[in-house]
Amino acid sequence: MATSNTDTSNARKKEVKKETRLGLTYKKDKDFGEWYSEVCVAGEMIEYYDISGCYILRPWTMAIWETLQAFFDAEIKKMNVKNVYFPLFVTENVLQKEKDHIEGFAPEVAWVTKSGQSEMEIPIAIRPTSETVMYPYYSKWIRGHRDLPLKLNQWCNVVRWEFSHPTPFIRSREFLWQEGHTAFATQDEADQEVLEILELYRRIYEEFLAIPVIKGKKSELEKFAGGFYTTSVEAFIPNTGRGIQGATSHCLGQNFAKMFEINFENEKGEKAMVWQNSWAYSTRTIGVMVMVHGDDKGLVLPPKVASVQVIVIPVPYKDADTQAIFDACRSTVDTLCKAGFRAEVDLRDNYSPGWKYSHWEMKGVPLRIEIGPKDLANKQVRVVCRDNGAKMDIPMHSLVEQVKEILSNIQESLFNAAKQKREACVKVINTWDEFIAALNNKKLILAPWCDEEDVEKDVKARTKGEHGAAKTLCTPFDQPRLPEGTLCFASGKPAKKWTYWGRSY
Amino acid sequence: MGALRLPSLALLFSPSKALRSSSASRPLRLRPPVIRKVSASLSGGASRALSTQSLANEEATPPSAADRKPSSGPEGSVTPRSVDFNAWYLDVIASAELADYGPVRGTMVIRPYGYAIWESIQEYLNSKFKETGHSNMYFPQFIPYSFIEKEASHVEGFSPELALVTIGGGKELEEKLVVRPTSETIVNHMFTQWIQSYRDLPLMINQWANVTRWEMRTKPFVRTLEFLWQEGHTAHATLEEAEKEALQMIDVYRKFAYEQAAIPVIAGRKSRAETFAGATQTYTIEAMMGDRKALQAGTSHNLGQNFSRAFGTQFTDENGQRQHVWQTSWAVSTRFIGGIIMTHGDDAGLMLPPRIAPIQGVPLRIEVGPRDIGNRSVVVCRRDIPGKPGKDFGISMEPSKLESHVKSRLEDIQASLLQRAISFRDGNIVDVNSYEELKAVIGQGKWARGPWSAGDNEELKVKEETGATIRCFPFEQPLGKKTCFMTGNPADEVAIFAKSY
Repeated sequence: MATSNTDTSNARKKEVKKETRLGLTYKKDKDFGEWYSEVCVAGEMIEYYDISGCYILRPWTMAIWETLQAFFDAEIKKMNVKNVYFPLFVTENVLQKEKDHIEGFAPEVAWVTKSGQSEMEIPIAIRPTSETVMYPYYSKWIRGHRDLPLKLNQWCNVVRWEFSHPTPFIRSREFLWQEGHTAFATQDEADQEVLEILELYRRIYEEFLAIPVIKGKKSELEKFAGGFYTTSVEAFIPNTGRGIQGATSHCLGQNFAKMFEINFENEKGEKAMVWQNSWAYSTRTIGVMVMVHGDDKGLVLPPKVASVQVIVIPVPYKDADTQAIFDACRSTVDTLCKAGFRAEVDLRDNYSPGWKYSHWEMKGVPLRIEIGPKDLANKQVRVVCRDNGAKMDIPMHSLVEQVKEILSNIQESLFNAAKQKREACVKVINTWDEFIAALNNKKLILAPWCDEEDVEKDVKARTKGEHGAAKTLCTPFDQPRLPEGTLCFASGKPAKKWTYWGRSY
Repeated sequence: MGALRLPSLALLFSPSKALRSSSASRPLRLRPPVIRKVSASLSGGASRALSTQSLANEEATPPSAADRKPSSGPEGSVTPRSVDFNAWYLDVIASAELADYGPVRGTMVIRPYGYAIWESIQEYLNSKFKETGHSNMYFPQFIPYSFIEKEASHVEGFSPELALVTIGGGKELEEKLVVRPTSETIVNHMFTQWIQSYRDLPLMINQWANVTRWEMRTKPFVRTLEFLWQEGHTAHATLEEAEKEALQMIDVYRKFAYEQAAIPVIAGRKSRAETFAGATQTYTIEAMMGDRKALQAGTSHNLGQNFSRAFGTQFTDENGQRQHVWQTSWAVSTRFIGGIIMTHGDDAGLMLPPRIAPIQGVPLRIEVGPRDIGNRSVVVCRRDIPGKPGKDFGISMEPSKLESHVKSRLEDIQASLLQRAISFRDGNIVDVNSYEELKAVIGQGKWARGPWSAGDNEELKVKEETGATIRCFPFEQPLGKKTCFMTGNPADEVAIFAKSY
């Protein structure tokens, strides 16, 4: 049914969305949990799904994931790690092989019990992590010292059927990650790699996501189930006063080698067990980024990972030459793209400039460029920074150099702001009372500890409550001086080291 | 003078010197070689057991091939193709260390070399998808059973193969969950939420993921319980756009097969009987393997409005009317690697086209011996031509000379592999004009091509009597009047029949 031209254009005019209160309903400082869920959806990163704890990752998220992936993949390739793909499914008997490991993961496994219409004789598990899937093959493939080191990695999805409160990116039943699994002839080599990988994780957080993290060692209670020792990078969310484990790099020792009989003939002809590591980071990284940098206008993306770094928006004005403005916008994007930036233009005629500002701010694009008739006349563009709202006019001729500098400044200042905020949360304490007070004040607590597992268990029991128990986050590699005679804050016994404690995700 | 210092290989293959091509003709791009000691993963003679046994011996009925002992020849040798093509295939996979058998029957472990081929495929296709305006996403792996049930023919087609999760975290789940066999149903569920108006269209996404189909008969890469793939899903305002997209993507696949994998696929349309459960039209690229069986190497579906009607995926058009969207979906999987192995491999083992070889030094081997050092030269050997005829002696070590020689040799190999495959294919397709002729041709193990306008029943009869199915109605059709060889009625098109994987 044809409509006249005026009817159509009238209809279109009605459609133009002006600046509405596109903003979020919830405020970060007041309702953090709701704010976070809202921002993930409004920023078009996540979509909720009919299965609780499973989320749809939209292109805005995948672009970030792919940026981190490209970096990490290239780095591990330099270390001669090879990518592989092991099956999703694992049989029960194999899953049970490493007792402590399975104790840690068994409650979270999802089981396939039917295929088609028939019941399966033996139910099949979906990997919660792939140690038990991979190590029987390590046993088969590793015979002599020349087969070492064996360094494999896979990018895949894992499933952990948890019942604790699901949170997009942070805690979901299915998530994407990489898991590296390496085997060495000596402990030294294993120890070295653990730290090399940990450093890559630090770079992901600090260099790409602009998030300060602390490198440290996990306590015996918190370490990987079945492993020897665990190192991690720990982040902190000031709004909730919770620590969050950013990524982990474990030395498995020879525990799995024993269980899976991963032996090799060394250069002397003797039979020896390998030393193993496993290390992983996941889509959780993206959640931490949202939590740390986002604000009440929406997402704030660090330029290094933003899918779109610069959004160019035309600001037409009644009698102005709209076509010229559009052309200027397109050529600005062109220039920026050729210079290697990720720039796009929003020329949609059914949305007002004001609406577009709000929309792209919601999506966290680091830099906005506005071009209106005055800008055109003055051969300049107006630039607005997402992180602090700063506005400036830059001449077209120095567009590329200035944008480069501005983006790099934004990356740096996001990191610095996050670091400052985190530092302000750190509280050094010495006594139990101080500990409880700090906990209630949402602090990242640094305390002297006697390093006993029972003491940690006791702290957890004593701090249990609606906000969750406090536990060790990590013992930082960077140890402040421990004065002679310092006592453990919880047990009163002589303290052995400084450890970060807190509530966590 | 001091010992001759070999120019670093990294210098020779510096990416900056390699030709970065536009999407038009893609000359070969040299990849920086991996310099490493000949480690276990490449050498054939190390002490690993070439076990083809499934690890979980407790597992019920492993596929018969898994029980077969490795060939009786020396370690790393391979059953000749002419003796037992299937055994040859499994031997190549084992000796080239491409894959191993998974703990659960029918699953596979993709080893580094095999996975690197997949990464090559991914890299190329990913960039093509981005070029054609698609964005990557990730959908959950679990699908509520009720979703699958929404599109009738879809559930009918897939239900025997579904893996169902009923227990999670120690508890029986409220609703059983399907491990995705393909994602149309979830995608549609979300498309319904994201699409309101014509301005939201076209919506063009892709995901790289693992899917699970509980198959009875499995074969590494070709048919595994779990496999890796990409699945593209798009929604359009008109049938024409959807059709254009479906055809565009099958063409992307066709070009990839020809230009990167040196596999001369035949692109065409599936018969109705062979069309994807839920689609109105399926397009395919069909490849001829070394044993002359057909392998469906990639598919692209015009889904019409089947899923949009089932899921209520609608939009308001420019006239304010509510319409259902028109959709496509298209996929290429790790099966493609099986196609590469079976198209080019020979009795010496795996043969990789340089454009997708993870290590291009394998299609091409450079030998450096004491005499070569003295002469400042190397011997360049082609994998595709055995013995002396494949060797170039006295190639100068001087970087630019060696590089240009290597580049042109790699191009030669790529072209020659494609040419060989084309000749083989064309030599094994026979035009038929009667059912008797078809039976004879299929009996000889070849492909038959003949005019066809008969129905599903006749098609089924051919399948039952000869084992051959219609692979496709090729896009490239001969001109002139045609008569269906089965019914004698006029036929618009020829169809290709073959036994297949």
